[in-house]
This record gives sequence, C-alpha cells and structure tokens, in this order.
Amino acid sequence: MRAFVYDCPDAVDEAVASVAADPQAAFLAGGTTQLDLMKDGVWTPDRLVDISRLPLRGILVESQQLKVGALTTMEQLAAEPVVAQRLMFVREALLAGATVQLRNMATIGGNLLQRTRCRYFRDPTVSACNRRSPDSGCAAVDGVARMHAVLGVDERCIALHASDVAVPLLAVDSTVLVSGPTGQRRVPLSEFWVRADEGPSIENVLGHGDLITEIDVPLLPNGWRSGYLKVRDRASYEFALTSAAVALQMDGDMIADLRIALGGVGSVPWRAREAEEMLRGTHVDPVRFEQAGRAVMASAFTVPGTAFKVDLAVRTLSRQLLTMTEATP
Amino acid sequence: MTAIQSRPGAPWVGQGIDRVDGPHKVTGTAPYASDVTMAGMLHAVVVTSTIAAGTITKIDTSALLTLPGVRAVFTHENFPRLNTPPVIPFGDTPVAPLQDGRIAFHGQEIALVVADTPQQATEAARLVEVVYAPEPALLDPADGRPEPLSYLPDTHRGDTEAGWAIADVRVGASYRTAENTNNPLGLMGCVAAWDGDHLEMHDTTQWPIALRQTLAAVFGVPESGVRVHVPYLGGGFGAGLNQWAYKLLAAGAARALGRPVKLMLTRPQMFRLVGHRPDSEHQVRLGAARDGTLTMIEHRATSLSSLDHPAVGLLTAGTPQVYACPNVATVERTVRLNRRYPASMRAPGEAEGNWALETALDELAYELGMDPLELRLRNVSSVVHPPSGLPWSSNALVECCKVGAEVFGWSRRDPRPSSMREDGLLIGWGMAAAFYGAYLAMSRARVTVYADGTAAVRAAATDIGTGTYTVITQLAADLLGLSPHQVDFQLGDSDLPAAAQSGGSGLASSLSNAVIDAVTHLHGELLDLVGEGSPLYGLRPDDVVCRDGALCRRDDPATQESIADLLAGQGLLEASGDGRVRLPDPATAGMCHAGGFGARYVEVAIDPMIGRLRVRRVVSVTDAGRVLNPKLARSQILGATVGGIGMALFEETLTDPDTGRVANGTFGDYLLAVSADVPDVEVIFVGEPDRFTPAGTKGVGEIGLVGVPAAIGNAVFHATGRRLRSLPITVDQLVM
Repeated sequence: MRAFVYDCPDAVDEAVASVAADPQAAFLAGGTTQLDLMKDGVWTPDRLVDISRLPLRGILVESQQLKVGALTTMEQLAAEPVVAQRLMFVREALLAGATVQLRNMATIGGNLLQRTRCRYFRDPTVSACNRRSPDSGCAAVDGVARMHAVLGVDERCIALHASDVAVPLLAVDSTVLVSGPTGQRRVPLSEFWVRADEGPSIENVLGHGDLITEIDVPLLPNGWRSGYLKVRDRASYEFALTSAAVALQMDGDMIADLRIALGGVGSVPWRAREAEEMLRGTHVDPVRFEQAGRAVMASAFTVPGTAFKVDLAVRTLSRQLLTMTEATP
Repeated sequence: MTAIQSRPGAPWVGQGIDRVDGPHKVTGTAPYASDVTMAGMLHAVVVTSTIAAGTITKIDTSALLTLPGVRAVFTHENFPRLNTPPVIPFGDTPVAPLQDGRIAFHGQEIALVVADTPQQATEAARLVEVVYAPEPALLDPADGRPEPLSYLPDTHRGDTEAGWAIADVRVGASYRTAENTNNPLGLMGCVAAWDGDHLEMHDTTQWPIALRQTLAAVFGVPESGVRVHVPYLGGGFGAGLNQWAYKLLAAGAARALGRPVKLMLTRPQMFRLVGHRPDSEHQVRLGAARDGTLTMIEHRATSLSSLDHPAVGLLTAGTPQVYACPNVATVERTVRLNRRYPASMRAPGEAEGNWALETALDELAYELGMDPLELRLRNVSSVVHPPSGLPWSSNALVECCKVGAEVFGWSRRDPRPSSMREDGLLIGWGMAAAFYGAYLAMSRARVTVYADGTAAVRAAATDIGTGTYTVITQLAADLLGLSPHQVDFQLGDSDLPAAAQSGGSGLASSLSNAVIDAVTHLHGELLDLVGEGSPLYGLRPDDVVCRDGALCRRDDPATQESIADLLAGQGLLEASGDGRVRLPDPATAGMCHAGGFGARYVEVAIDPMIGRLRVRRVVSVTDAGRVLNPKLARSQILGATVGGIGMALFEETLTDPDTGRVANGTFGDYLLAVSADVPDVEVIFVGEPDRFTPAGTKGVGEIGLVGVPAAIGNAVFHATGRRLRSLPITVDQLVM
C-alpha cells in the first residue's frame, strides 16, 4: 500500500505553506481527477493537503462580475440564477460537462486544473509520454487517437484539455486569483494555461504551492446572448469531440460584438480571436462563419484519428453562430 | 404443459410477476462472490504483461516479499504445475496460466501477488519488475493466416455461381464490425478455499458445472470434491462462460498457501482477461430475380482470435437458415494473432453476421426498387427450414415483420433517401429481420415436495439477471399446483443436479424441460407411496397431478390423496423426482427445432451539419415461443436493444497497432450506450409455444440484440443516402 500524509488545514496560508514546504505535496479539492490518477498510479504525491475546509466556497455577485470561490462546486455555479441570466453558456457548459454526481463533487478551481484524459498519459505502463516524463516521446501520436487535441499541439504531445466550463470562462476573459508562497497575484485565463507545443510537461503557470482561491468571471452586458454547443458520440457522459462557446450582441442583422472559444480541440481551452475579428461588425453570413472557423483551425496539427476534428470544429462553430444569431435575445 | 390451471392466480407461467430475487438484490442481502470473506482469507492481484509476444527472461519478485502484508508472489517459476484444462463445448478454455514464460498477448497474466489486503497486493503488483525477450508480434489481421473453424464447417446448397449468373440484380460488399467487450456491471472474480483435496470456489461463472469439471481436471482432484457457488452474479453477457485463468490462479495460490484466496479483476483487466466479441469482416454477395426472389446468397466471414484459442465464430451460422434461397454458400475463417482471447458476447456471431446479411438485403432492396420489408416477406421460408428440408417447429417471422410494420407505421415511409426531414434533421426509417438459433443443453433438475406443503426445485444453474430464479419458480408452481411463494428454487451450487450454462439463450428452455420431467418422476415417487385401497392405486405418473398439497387424478381432481398423508404413511418427510432434458431427434420428430425470430424497426434523426445521430424510436417484435414471464422477457429485449444500439454506434475496443495494448479499456474511454442514448422501445411478442419441447420456449436472452445494428444502419442510409458498412457508425462518418 502506498502511504501518504494527509493534511486538512483550515486556512489558506497554512495550506499554501504546507504544500510549499514539501516538493512531493499537492492540494486536493473535489478529487474527481486526482483520485483517479492516484488509483491509476500516474500521480503519486507523498502528502495530500485537503483544501475542502478552506473558506473558498460560494459566489459573490457584483454588478459587473461574479467572484467565484475556488471550491464552489460545478453544481453550485450552474444553479446560480445570475449565471442563467447573464452567462448562459457557462451554465450550459457546466450541465453538459459532467453528471450530477460529479458536479456535486468537482470544484471550479479543480476543473480548470484537470489533467488530460489521454489514455497513454493515464497508463503508467506506457513509457512514452512527454507530458508525464519529459523527453520520453508520445505514444498517442502513433497510437489510437480520437479524444485528442489538434490546436496548440505538435508531434511531441497531443493531449487535450477536456474541460467544458473553462471554454466559456475563457471567452469572457475570466481571471484567477492565486495565493502562493510569494503572496497573491492575478492571472487572466488567457495567460493561465501553457500549450503542449510550448512544452508538453508544463500545463499552466502555477508554481509549486500556488493555490487558486477565486475565479473572477465578468458578466456579459445586458443585451448579449450566449450558448455552448457540445458535439460528442453519445448523448451524455462523454468529453467533447468539439465544442463552441459563443456570446454575441446583435445590432439588427449585424453582429455588433462577440466572443468565441472552442473546446475539444486544443491542448488548452482555445480562444478564437481570429474568428471574433473576422465576424465583429459583419452581417450574418453562413459562408463567413465557415471561413472564420477555417481561419481558427488553419494551424491544426492532426494525426489520422483526429483529422476529422478540423472540419467538425468548423461546423460546430458555424452551427453555434447560426443558433446565436437567429435566437431572440 | 400438464398442470391443472383452476387454482386462484394460476397459471403463473405467462404472468409478468416480479422477480422472486428482487427483494434480496435491492436490500443488499443477495450474496455475490465479491461479498464473500473467510477466516484467514488473503487477497490476490494479477500482474499482466506489457508486451504482446516473447518470453520472460527475468522476473524479480524477491524485494516485494519485504513489503508490508505481502505473503507470496507467484510467477511461472514457482506457480504450481497444472494439468491441461479440458476442452468444453462453447467454453474453450484458455491455456493454464503461469506454466512457462511465454507471452502470447499484451495484458496476459504473468504473475500473481498475494497479500493481507487488496491494497497491499495492488501496490506490490505495480512494483513487479519484468525483463522480456520480445519477439515480433503478429498484430495486423492482414498478416494472419485464416483457418477453418473446427465446429462450423463451410456450407453449400445448390450452386451459388449459377444463382449469381441468373440473377437480374446483384449486390456485393464488405462489412465490418468492431471488437466489443462484455461489460457486466459486476467485476468478475472468485474466492478459492481448499480443505485437503476438496476445493470450494465462490465465483462469477455462468456455468458452475463446467467450472467444477475444469478445476477437478486442472488440479487432479475428484470432481466430487469440488464445489462451485454462484447464487448471484452481476451479469455476464457471455464473459462468465469460459473457465478463465484467474480462477485457476486463485485456486492454485490458495492450495499452495493453505489459505483462502480472493481475486477480483479490475475493470481494465475485464477488457483483457474475460473475453470479448472479436472484430469481424464479411463479404456478402446476393443475387435476386426482378421480383425480389433470391437466387443466391454467399457469405464469407473472418473473425480474429488469439494464438492459443480456437475461435468463437458463428458469424455465418444463421445465414442459410432464414430465407428460401436455393443457392447458398457460407465460408467462415478465423485469424490467430497475438491478441487477447475472444469469447461469447450476447448473440455471439449472429449479431455480426446478421448485421452484414441484413444490410446487404437493404442494399438489394434499393437496387431492386423494392420495399425492404417486401423483400423479406418475399423470401422468408416460414414453413420449411431450408438447410434440412424439415418443417420448422415454429416460425412467426412473417408475423414479426408485419406486426412491427403496423405498429411502427412503416407504410408511411417514403423510401427515397433523405426524403423525410424535420426541423433541419434528416429522418431515417430502417428495418431488419432477426434469427437466433435454438439451443438446448443437457440439464438435470430435482423437484422435492415436503410434508408442510411447500416444494423446492434444485439445479446447478445460474441467474445472470435474466430471471431464471423467477421463471422456474412460476413453472414449478403450475406443475405442482402451488403458489410461487410456496416454491423455493435453489440454484448456483454445483452440488445440485447438473444444469446447463446461462448461454446460447438455452437455459430456460433446457431447465424447464428438465423440471417438467422431474415432476413426472415425482408423480411416480408419490404413486409408489399409495396403498392398495387408494383410488389412486395403480395409476401411472401421467395419470396424476399435484395440486394444493394433494396428489390428484388428472381426469378427476376430486379423487386425491394428501401428500402429507402419503409421506407420513411411510415415515417420510419429503419425496423427490429427478428429471433431465430429453432431446428428441429432429429427424424422428419430423421437424427442425426453431430458434427465436424477430423484426426490428428503428427511426433515427441525424443533424447533418454536425453529424449528430439520435435513435428516436425502436419497435422490437420477437417470436420467442412461449413467454414464461412477459415482464422479464421484455427486460431482456430492452437490455439487448441497448446492447444493439451500443454495438451500432459506440462500442469499439481499440488495440494499439504497434504494441497490441488495449487502448481504451476503461468506462471513460470505451463508450457504452447511456440512458440518454436509448429512446422509448416498444417490445412486442408474437407467435405460439414452440412444439419441439414440452415447455414451448425458444430463449429470449440474445435474439433482442440481433437485427438492431442493421436496422440502425439501414435507417442511416434512408436518412442520408450514405451506406456505412463499418461499425460503429460515428459522428465523423455522418457530417454532410
């Protein structure tokens, strides 16, 4: 039996100090990713610092944003009325993102930090995994790939960031508040994750002992509409093959402003700024929607099992743009 | 059926009563193998290979013995020598484990760690260090050599080339099905305990008697001293039919250590060590006259197998049997590779072969410009079994097709592809016919009546969730003139009279015929107790029936003797009758023993822009002969329909092309249909009790899956005009 130390501190400073002091220590929140990884033998911390008693639960509603405690569960955020009014795509992504059992355990902070579902990463008997063991290779590139990324990847790693809710949170320019050994800092989600093609073994900018304490989520202005479309093989309980989070404001039949992020395609949740720029201030035009999608996917790196995602992502985005531009606000 | 049916509530057969074992299951009191604990019991965990071919040159386990709780580590160097497992029909036994250092597939059992707790054993198993001498693995089906199947010869009738030559319309295509893995909710595993040469095993087998036979032969002990318990198991779908290596590992370790050993597989190990439905390839050619009359059917099929395992096959077994075509040929081969063992999975072979044949028929219907239903009706051989020329013992396939069409509304179908649309969705309606062959296996049963008026039925059968406990209780209640609550059916113990496996949809049929025979013998036993002055004296077993605790004249039930009095008269507390299945010879009986028939109608809705497919409606009509319990039979068809949806749209066990490793052996990666994928399913039974056996049943466990994949694929063609011949059909194949 693998022994590890289990701490359950009451204060953020204490938790941070506890992890910072031990290079083999890690935080534990809802556990919906970490316990799987421990059972699979992929992740073997010597010390688990359970943060579930820290006062990081709950949602503060301000006029322009939500302050979401890092330990707020997916279910709590989905049930928040303001989310349904002003951030519909966040609600839809949460509900499509996990079963109710998981939503009641999984935290928003943990969701942003979830590890890839790549089956090669999660099987320690597979030695070639640059994400797990730097410079060991990538078994997925030559193996069975389907639930893998095509953006922000290269032949060194095609791991997918499979979060749903991170996609709309990125689209609205959310920010995380981080407490660490050197104090507090704020990191925009757009600068939070590290793409696999920028270094497969580094997933985000957090250092050892850094703890997400809060996620600040700007509310969409009144008059905006938003929605999240998730395409997958079966109807429930599966990660996205492709997904699109779209928020926009119409002015007559013109798209006055919009925000787009894609899921299921990137080594990190993928903001589609090229598409936003191509479509901002334009009339509703399905051909242009497709062109915008193609522009986003132009840099895709594919293997035989993932080649279909390029076209499917374009279609997913086009469909969601059509749905959003046709909808009544 | 010989019961008198005048009692209140009777006849019980045919009623959809609740499962008699239901309360035990929902209150958690039903004992499963995983619940068994014994004094001194140790826990074993299997270590598996990380290469697909080669030999172990070094396996160092000495350091593990110093770990807390670790009691033993077995490898091929120190595991007890085992005798070669016997060959058992339909239960081909994998080679005995840990007998040499040879590796035949990735994920093969190579060591066993035994510790005080499962956690200790799991951690130590992770630390076993193995050095291999790898050899090139035979992994690509194209490199394998096709072999004939030992038990399914090629079949020919007529002249298929002549039938091809005279055809007005011809189709020919290749079809593929993916590897699917049996995924019963209950993990498979066992507890083994020895007392001298006596072995007791609590297991998850679907076939206790075969496991007893195997254990006795492998360990060289008398069969009389081996006892297998399986009162409950968490499903099987065929994975429990074979005598898997884990059972021999647990028993071998328990014997060597002199302590009980428990071994439960993990879910990823279930994808490697307890069988699967192998990949299959089919080439089907069909010829027809302009009016749709089939002039030839040719079905060549290949499935994959492991190096040490013959095959599962049966891909082409159903093809010659349903349609009245004069020229039919079937050829079936297996290809051995460095892959894990295939085995039976719900409707093995027939599910795959039917997918190919019934898809080809749909293609033929379109080539002919004929309604697919009309094509089936034109060719179904509903009176005569084509291969034997004998009359079917029952065949309601035409009724299945017609009733299904009526309920589904098939006549409103516009046959043109992509012609039916709704809110931007493409709607497709597809159908397929289904057949699943009859199977009866030797079974015995004992029926006992007691002085207190209750009765017991005993047989070493299993109930894998199908309802065996309940339907045999209903049948016995009718035969004995009692209520179900007065009848206790005891199963799942190999010391009970030997019974058939839960397999081939044959258990209910086999067992019910043995029970009917046992009751006749019970009548004889009771008549033997009757005194000379009794009005029953001198009657034969068929002249009497049991009813409400009395033995009655069949033609005059008021003439009776109390069973309690008959027993007391001889100082007895009980009387029993032993019965067995009596298999008629079809030729002598003048009929072919029919299996189940069915027709499946499916509606799909496809969003062509994003390739999203949803099955919206299923109408499933089945001729299963006598339906013993319509509630449980409906559950069987529902579950099988879910399996058919999974096979058509989701399930695919993938193998790494370079290493032979299972690439997606978890519930997160291997997709089963979830509730949201399953629409309302209308389940209908038609037909009459089969006349081949007294019980009149034909089996209902597997037929419900057959036809579902083809009906879905045919509906996809109708919706999209796209003929997809490889399962599963996924999003990326459907974007338009």
